[in-house]
Amino acid sequence: MSDILLKIENLKKSFGKLEVLKGLTTDIRKGEVVVMIGPSGGGKSTFLRCMNLLEQPTEGSIVFEGIDIVKADETTKNHVRSEMGMVFQHFNLFPHLTILDNITLAPRLVRGIAKPEAEKEAMELLTRVGLADKAKAYPQQLSGGQKQRVAIVRSLAMHPQVMLFDEPTSALDPEMVGEVLDVMKDLAKNGMTMVVVTHEMRFARDVATRVLFLEGGRIAVEGTPAEIFDAKHEGRLGEFLGKVTGVGFREKVRDELRDILADNVVTPEEIDCIREMLKESRK
Amino acid sequence: MFQSLIDDFQLCFVKADRWRYLLKGLGVTLEVAIAAILLGLIIGFVVAIVRSSHDKYGKFGFLNAIAKVYLTIIRGTPMVVQLLICYFIILKSLDKVFVAILAFGINSGAYQAEIMRAGIMSIDPGQMEAGRALGLSYWRTMLKVILPQAIRNVLPALGNEFIVLMKDTSIVGYIALIDLAKGGDIIRSQTYSVYTPYLTVAAIYLVLVMTMTWLLGILERHLRNTGANPVHNDS
Repeated sequence: MSDILLKIENLKKSFGKLEVLKGLTTDIRKGEVVVMIGPSGGGKSTFLRCMNLLEQPTEGSIVFEGIDIVKADETTKNHVRSEMGMVFQHFNLFPHLTILDNITLAPRLVRGIAKPEAEKEAMELLTRVGLADKAKAYPQQLSGGQKQRVAIVRSLAMHPQVMLFDEPTSALDPEMVGEVLDVMKDLAKNGMTMVVVTHEMRFARDVATRVLFLEGGRIAVEGTPAEIFDAKHEGRLGEFLGKVTGVGFREKVRDELRDILADNVVTPEEIDCIREMLKESRK
Repeated sequence: MFQSLIDDFQLCFVKADRWRYLLKGLGVTLEVAIAAILLGLIIGFVVAIVRSSHDKYGKFGFLNAIAKVYLTIIRGTPMVVQLLICYFIILKSLDKVFVAILAFGINSGAYQAEIMRAGIMSIDPGQMEAGRALGLSYWRTMLKVILPQAIRNVLPALGNEFIVLMKDTSIVGYIALIDLAKGGDIIRSQTYSVYTPYLTVAAIYLVLVMTMTWLLGILERHLRNTGANPVHNDS
């Protein structure tokens, strides 16, 4: 049991009267890559933000390093956060600092590491993600993908025990998604414990060791990527996967088109039918 | 015509060393203005942090109430009246310059607080989250991440407040403190010459304000060059 990093039990979170998390229980083990998927409003991001206490849970417990951090005092919470990296959808780099200062700020202030040492390590990390030449630049001068790679490095510089990713590629232009996912894959390969909220199903299938499907504030389904993605699912999960991967829809279109083209004549009604399908595909 | 101008100048400034009134007055004006700006900055910072922490994160309920009372009173009463109350009621026996610095500092603090609060509120909440997520405490994040960006965003408004404050010090004559304006007034009362002393005083104020504007411009450019332009949400 000693390899459990976060032991989460019956976690609940309400915003006013709205209950967003309705009692989640799960363990995050060392070296795991847990990917959370699910419809928006299902509580994925809130759950992630509760793990490092950016949101204060209303009820339940999270045991980290042997203590329940939900009830911890402010100093302990600061310590806990310094042990967990977090990567945000909108990067949240500090625009008034250079890339190098962005990365070394926390190690110097929180860990008390001397400037030359902190900078040396920051440069090594930047080299790892191919951005060593940007050390003296400011965030505004970087592309979205570069910003997110810097944000990952900024978290890594604190040597966290676990990295939390909150939709890290959702704000990126499509052509930049790959470079960020590559860095994350690399981290996973090197044994980093990761909890990832994402809509990148291919990433979930390839990298995750466990997938959680969150729906309505609960963990509705939990399983290995194979169990989630390769099996046929009824109900909400099947519906959700059908939507995001386009599986059900694609099959429907294929069958319809086959019927339409079967007699080598395309009638006006059939053209309308194709139009309808195009409209639906844009939703 | 030209000769009469020179005569008037001689009468107002050279005779009986009357230029000393202006020089000493200028010294008092600068002393009060600069010290009050600094005092106002300190008060402004503290009040702005308390107010915005309360509005954004629900902290400091009690301090926020005090800050609100302070802002209401200071912004709701005239500066001259505050100065008179300070001198004749609250701090009767103290040095006039000291009283003026306190009165103007406390007054300007209220306006600077609201300017800085606007600056703090304009910073994307993700900045605070990013700082906290790295393990920085609330205050560390405030000082190292939020405030530097907030100040850069409100520097023009803050500079404007400095200029207003410096010109407002010209009312210290009400407590018989001889500043630049009062110095000019004394020369007028001794020489019965109106144009030369007042226009000279006005010109000196103008030069002071222009110098301040120039210095603030340099500071603004400097801050813009270190770092990017005002903050975008997706930085």
